[in-house]
Amino acid sequence: MKFAAGVEFALASLRKRRLRTFLTASGVMIGIGALVSMISFGQGMQKNVTAAFKASDLFNTIVVMPGGGLIPFDDPDRGPRPEEKAGRADAVLDDAAVAGIARIPGVRMAYPDISFPAQVGLEGEEELRLVRVIPAAVLASNAAQVRWGKAFASDDEEGVVVSRTLLRRLGAADPAAAVGKTLRITSVSIDFSRLASLDLAALFSGRGLPVDREGYDFPIVGVLEVGAFGGGPGLAQNDILIPPGTSGRIKRLPFSSLWDLLRMRDGRLGYSAVSVKLGSLRDLEAVRSRVREMGFTTFALADQFEEITKAFYVMDMVLAAVGMIAIVVAALGIVNTMVMSILERFREIGVMKAVGAGDGDIRKIFFFESGALGLIGGAAGCALGWATSLIINRVINFILARQGMPPIDYFAFPLWIFVGAVAFSLLVSLVSGIYPARRAARVDPVVALRHD
Amino acid sequence: MNAPPIIQTRSLAKTYLIGDVRVAALEDVTLAFGEGRFVAITGASGSGKSTLLNLLGGLDTPTAGTIEVDGALISTLDRDALARYRRFGAGMIFQSFNLIPSRTALENVELPLIFANVDKRERKRRAAELLAKVGLAHRAGHRPAELSGGEQQRVAVARALANGPRLLLADEPTGNLDSRTAREIVGLLAELNRGRRLTVIMVSHEESLVREFAHDVVRLRDGRVVAAESRA
Repeated sequence: MKFAAGVEFALASLRKRRLRTFLTASGVMIGIGALVSMISFGQGMQKNVTAAFKASDLFNTIVVMPGGGLIPFDDPDRGPRPEEKAGRADAVLDDAAVAGIARIPGVRMAYPDISFPAQVGLEGEEELRLVRVIPAAVLASNAAQVRWGKAFASDDEEGVVVSRTLLRRLGAADPAAAVGKTLRITSVSIDFSRLASLDLAALFSGRGLPVDREGYDFPIVGVLEVGAFGGGPGLAQNDILIPPGTSGRIKRLPFSSLWDLLRMRDGRLGYSAVSVKLGSLRDLEAVRSRVREMGFTTFALADQFEEITKAFYVMDMVLAAVGMIAIVVAALGIVNTMVMSILERFREIGVMKAVGAGDGDIRKIFFFESGALGLIGGAAGCALGWATSLIINRVINFILARQGMPPIDYFAFPLWIFVGAVAFSLLVSLVSGIYPARRAARVDPVVALRHD
Repeated sequence: MNAPPIIQTRSLAKTYLIGDVRVAALEDVTLAFGEGRFVAITGASGSGKSTLLNLLGGLDTPTAGTIEVDGALISTLDRDALARYRRFGAGMIFQSFNLIPSRTALENVELPLIFANVDKRERKRRAAELLAKVGLAHRAGHRPAELSGGEQQRVAVARALANGPRLLLADEPTGNLDSRTAREIVGLLAELNRGRRLTVIMVSHEESLVREFAHDVVRLRDGRVVAAESRA
C-alpha cells in the first residue's frame, strides 16, 4: 500500500468515528499542551534570568575581596572553593590596591563597593536602607535603568538616585513627580564630644554609646525602574545610589559590619570588596590571576553562571517530567482507542485480507491511524499550550502590575518547542500504535469473516 | 477436462482443534480443475465446502496435503506470499457480500487495487470500468446499504476481479438472494467464465443453478469427496 493511500485510510477511519477521534486527540492535546507550557515556562525563566544577568554587566565583573578570613556569606557547611583560600591575610584592599588593580591590562574600571546603613526619609515617611556609593561612570555604563530624571553626571554632583520600590514604600506613588524632591539620609557616627565623658558602666549595658545621628538632605535626581525578578543581581537592587564625592559629606562609621573589624590588620581596614569591570570576558583569567598575585580573593559570577544553567536544566527536566505524566495518560488513551478499533473493525480486517491486504498493509493502516491521532493532538496541543501560557502570562502580569512590576513574558516559545512537541507527539502515538497494529495484522481472515 | 489443470490438490486435509478434540473438516481431498472451467462444489452444511474454498483462496492453510495453482505450490507459502496470491491470483466473493459499509461501491472495488499499489487515477479508472462490466456504472457512488442484495454481490464480483485474477472463488454467492437475483448472479459468473477464460469455483447447494451452469460438480460429505462429475 502506498503512503498516500495509507493516509487516506487513516483519515477516513478517523472521520468515521468523529467523537472517539475527538476525545482521543483531546487527550493528546492536553498532554502536549501541558508539556508545551511547562517547557516554555522553563525557557522563559531561563531567558529572563539570563537576560537580567547579561544586562546587569555582572558577567564582566570580578569581585575582589581582601585576603585571609572570608565572610561566610555562602553556605557554611560547604567546603571552600580552592580559589577562596588563595588570599593572603595581610593583603588590605585600600585605595592603593584599587589603583593597582585598575592598572591591570583588561580592567576597564575598579571601584570599591561601599554601602552603609542609613535611615532615609521623604516627606515624613521613613525607612531603614542601605545606601550604595557608586561612581557616576559606573552608573552611566551600567544597565541600571534610570527611567525618570537622570543619573548623576559627576562623582561630586549633589544628588541621589533612588529606586521606584523605595519611593513606593515612602508613599510617593508617582516616580516622575518625585524627581527634584528632597531625600533625607540620616547616618550614625561617633560623637567625639562625648568621648571625653564616657560612662563605661552604661556603655557595657548598651546605653550611652558615644554615637550621634545626623541628617543630610539631597535632591532626588533620578529614579530607577524596577526590573523583572527585582532587576536581577546588580545595581538595580540598590535602593539609594549616591556618588562617592558627595557621600564623603556624610559622617558615618568607617565600617558597616563587625566582620570588617575582625578582618582588620595593623589597624588598616580597607574596603570589604572592590568591583572590577572587565573590557571583555576573555580577560577574566588573566586579570583574576594578577589580582590573586596581589594576595586578594576573587569571585566571578561568570563561574557561577554554569551552575545556574545547570539548575535550569534540572528545572526543565522536572517540568518536562510533570508534562510527561499527561503524555503517558494520552498514550494509553491511544492504545485503548486503537484496540477498541480492532474489535470494531474485526470483520473489515478480514475483508481487507481476503481481497489481498498483507500483514504489512493492515499494520500500516492502524499505525497511520494512531500517528494521525498524534499529529492532530500534537498540533492542537501546541495551540492549547500557547494559548494557556498567554492567558497565565496575562494574569500574572495583571497581578504584578498592581505591585508596580513592569510586564514581562514569563513564557518563551522558540520554534523548536512546537516542532519538538509535534514530533514527540507523533513519536508517542506511533509507539502507542505498535501493539494495536501488530495485533490487527495477526487477525485470522477466516475467523474474521465468520464474525458478525 | 481437455485443458491442463489450473488447480490441483493432493490428499488435502484440514483439522481444527476445538478444545482438546480434533475435528476433521476435510480429509484426503484430491482434485484437479482445468483452466476456464465453471466448477460447482456442493454438499450439505458442514460437509467442508467452505473450508475447501478458503484453502483454495489462500485464506487458510491446510493441515496436510498440497495445493498447486497454475504450477505454484500455494499450500507452503508464507503469510506475505499468501497475501500476494489473494491479491493477484484468486478473487473471492461471499454469501454475505463482505463489502465495507463505509465505502462506496467504487471505493470497495478500488480496495484490492490499493493493496496492489496502483495509482489513484488508474485505480478510479479501472474500478469504474469493472463496475460498468457488472452493470453498476450508475451506482458507483452509493454505499452498500443503499444497494440491493444483487447489486452488492455485483460490486463484490467487480472487486474480486480488480487485479485480474485467473481464478474466481464464490462461497455460496446466492445464499442471501432471491431466486431470480440468484440466477442473475450465477449467470454473470458464467458469462465472465465464458468471456475471460476465467476459472470459476462456486460453492452452492442450489441444484438447479449447479445443473444449469456448472461444467464440473464435486460433491462433498463429511469432508470427503464422494462424487466428482464432469459435463461438457
